Amino acid sequence: MNNNSYKFTLPKGDDKYINIPIEIKWDFLGQDNAVDEYQQNVIEDIIGFPGDFEVLRFAHAPYNNDTKTDIKYDFHFFSTPTPNQNTGVIEYLVPINPSSLVTTSQSTYWVTSYVPEGFTETEIYYYVKPFTKSFFKLDFYDTKDTITQTNYFTVILPVQQGFTVTASTSPYKPVINIKIPSFKLDYVGDKEGFFLYWLRNRKFLDISKFYMTAKFFDARLGVFVKMTNTPQSVIPSKFRFNPEDYFYYEVRLNYNEKTYEVYYENNGTTTRVGTTSSIKWYEYINP
Amino acid sequence: MDDIRIVLGSLRYKTATNTDLSIPTPLVQNSKNLQEFDRSVDVNLAQVFDDERQKSTTFRPVCKFQLLFNNSYTGSTNYPPLENNLYYINETTLTIDQCTLNPDSVYWEGFPQYDEFDFIRSDYNVSGYTVPIPSTIPGGISSVHIDFVAKSASTYNWNHFVSYPYKNVNKVMTFYDAVGINTPSLTWNAVDGIPFVIMVTDGSTNSIPLLEGGNHIIQFKCPVKHGLSESEFVKITLTNGYTNTFQVFSFGNGLPGTEEYIFNLFDIGYGSIFNDGDKGTFKRVINYENPNDTTSKYYVIQHKIITDVNDAVLVNAGFEKNIFGTNKKFESPAYTPNNVKRVSIKENSQSYTLSFNKDIDINELRDNQKRPISELYITTVWKGFFGLTFGGVDDNLNATGLQEGFDFNIPIDFINNEPQGWWNINNTNSNFVDSNNNPYPITTYNTPEGTIKIPNGGILTTIQFTYLNSLKNGDTINGNYCEWNDYEQKERVISEMYHKFIFNSDVFDIRSVNDNKPFGYYYQPNRVIKIRGFSDYIETGSINNMADVPDYSYFSTTYNSFIWRDLYTYGFKDGNGNGVDYPFLNGKHYPYENFIFRIIPEGTNYIESALHNYATLYGAAQPIKDNCE
Repeated sequence: MNNNSYKFTLPKGDDKYINIPIEIKWDFLGQDNAVDEYQQNVIEDIIGFPGDFEVLRFAHAPYNNDTKTDIKYDFHFFSTPTPNQNTGVIEYLVPINPSSLVTTSQSTYWVTSYVPEGFTETEIYYYVKPFTKSFFKLDFYDTKDTITQTNYFTVILPVQQGFTVTASTSPYKPVINIKIPSFKLDYVGDKEGFFLYWLRNRKFLDISKFYMTAKFFDARLGVFVKMTNTPQSVIPSKFRFNPEDYFYYEVRLNYNEKTYEVYYENNGTTTRVGTTSSIKWYEYINP
Repeated sequence: MDDIRIVLGSLRYKTATNTDLSIPTPLVQNSKNLQEFDRSVDVNLAQVFDDERQKSTTFRPVCKFQLLFNNSYTGSTNYPPLENNLYYINETTLTIDQCTLNPDSVYWEGFPQYDEFDFIRSDYNVSGYTVPIPSTIPGGISSVHIDFVAKSASTYNWNHFVSYPYKNVNKVMTFYDAVGINTPSLTWNAVDGIPFVIMVTDGSTNSIPLLEGGNHIIQFKCPVKHGLSESEFVKITLTNGYTNTFQVFSFGNGLPGTEEYIFNLFDIGYGSIFNDGDKGTFKRVINYENPNDTTSKYYVIQHKIITDVNDAVLVNAGFEKNIFGTNKKFESPAYTPNNVKRVSIKENSQSYTLSFNKDIDINELRDNQKRPISELYITTVWKGFFGLTFGGVDDNLNATGLQEGFDFNIPIDFINNEPQGWWNINNTNSNFVDSNNNPYPITTYNTPEGTIKIPNGGILTTIQFTYLNSLKNGDTINGNYCEWNDYEQKERVISEMYHKFIFNSDVFDIRSVNDNKPFGYYYQPNRVIKIRGFSDYIETGSINNMADVPDYSYFSTTYNSFIWRDLYTYGFKDGNGNGVDYPFLNGKHYPYENFIFRIIPEGTNYIESALHNYATLYGAAQPIKDNCE
């Protein structure tokens, strides 16, 4: 910077040295920068820093020496087993008075079929609207305590997925394949509901264990049907039991592997389910 | 401040006179006014967003792939799991043969199913191929090719990674001239520049000198775009050792599209130096008087992979299909070797989206020019786990794996109707190599059906299935062939990298003309996602003021100054489209790109350089848009 000029008249004699005093009234540069940085920190404290709400895809953890990844769900509906008048074969029909029947029922009354729920084989085969608009709803909570729990996310399993069984709609027509509420979800094939999507960053919500409940939305009647993890026939007190024991499966997330596992708790022991043995849900009958 | 010594004028040297002196006193400011007491800051949402955006160095790249593939090669096989699952041709004849001849000696013919090339395999339930058929003998081995693992559906065929340009390396290359493509024109090192073949005459028996506007010219024909502009220079090195620098006179040979591939020198009497068919390499020189700064450098980019196979999340892209639709047919049970009905798919149209579980932090990363990285690449590599490709050995009994080459290596040898010699399985220069120039390892396996002796022309063989081991974080692969000029601070892609895979003839025989140069498929492994933009202008900085000079700048000893291009901020785009502006949320950048992924069969005429340089070979060149359009 050449903004100052000094003019000197030459003296006679020896060389001269001139000291030019430059007054400094300012502080050091670093101190002000430090204040700027502090100011920035204060602003960040006040308005916050961007949180990471991106989700991660959690897949069902491998089993069987890492060769299998599928997860199996079996949904059982309460029925009235009735012998066919002509053939004598047991048919599982819609129960007339389920709340009274359940008190004397056996676990075989719950079957993996949509028929006891009121859908006919024809309705199922032809995918009528009341059937295709029905779905299973899996809710994931942070705790089993119904008073304090929060439902963080939900997975929908459409009825168009699942295994099929043969059925007959008429003695004059060939047998057909109809859907049953038994699902095998995987990376390929039926995969709706296979992946769980949850926050990848654990700063905001650090949850690695969820509790899963299941409901079936019956679009024919417009009602939700609750599900238990045990047939009501096996529960000692059919209608007065601790909900925490019978309405939940435990879902554990592994953030490192990006996988999840499902566990069934019974009398203090937990067993992984959904692998070789399926996750079983049973229709709950209200009193 | 240094002491100032003032010497009386008359004392400085003899005969010097006294004069008035003035001393300019520089006041260098290294302090800043301190604001005391209250400080007030206006918090502006847009400003806060921008501050956070500029500060973030974490990226979550996302892309969509549209897969374009024409299933082009039919072949034959006697390997039961594959034989039972082809898209058949000649099935009527083969069905008769199956009845009248020994069924084991009948080789069924057809196309491999589309699943063999798809990004996500969906043939998870094919009995005897991906689902075991239990043996009828108690304790016997089940019949299956691969017991399908659903998790691997998206990694059986292809693996996807994120990579970035990491280093410049040399590579031995070979190009084959269109005339006599079956013989190599020149093998050269990438760092030596761009190769050429010289033409001084028109090639006729009369050897008429080439003329342009009445002037004698020397023509240099390149297999790639030369990248030269008018008034620039070329530093030419011939294979006989001659080297010198010349000014470019003109471009092209009069045919459309040749301007970018042919440059001419004004022949003022170089007859004894340049002769028809001479070969060599050249380097571009912008300023003859300043060769140090303005001579281009040539190299192959080496990419470093920064994700693992399992970090990639590849899923179907909603309902998007490409325009070519699905090509499928019903295979009647009477016309299949195992009498099972099914639907064969030759081509499909599904698109895919790719994201990654891993965040990419670029803070510590520097590109091949030691600058902060401005590009991430989506790298896709053929794995071929089902073993229909690779396999076999070269003359030195080394197993054949994936091969790599460049755009100019793809046009076929039209005389012998076979791939260029570059793709000969004995050419080690075309191996798909790691940072030590060693081929990436492959693995072989046997299957129950393949281990049973298969009669192959009377010889009993055991089939070896081969696949490429998955690459991992930290591995490197070669990328495009590029030019860099320090003076311009700009990189130009000269030729794009391609990979090639061939069929395993023990499994699926497509009857290539030459066993050492079998037909196969090509694909481009690297696709760029731009994450920052460098400025259109060039900055210079004096050595006396280093304050704003970035650490990646180039120092010119000629000009005694630093040269660089500025990095634009995120969200800024200049008038020429340089720069990036993509979503920023969750404190992370979300760059995205749509890609077309082509799996190119041998002999295609779709290659950019082929369209121009070999225009006479493949027909009319691609029209060039002029200013009227």
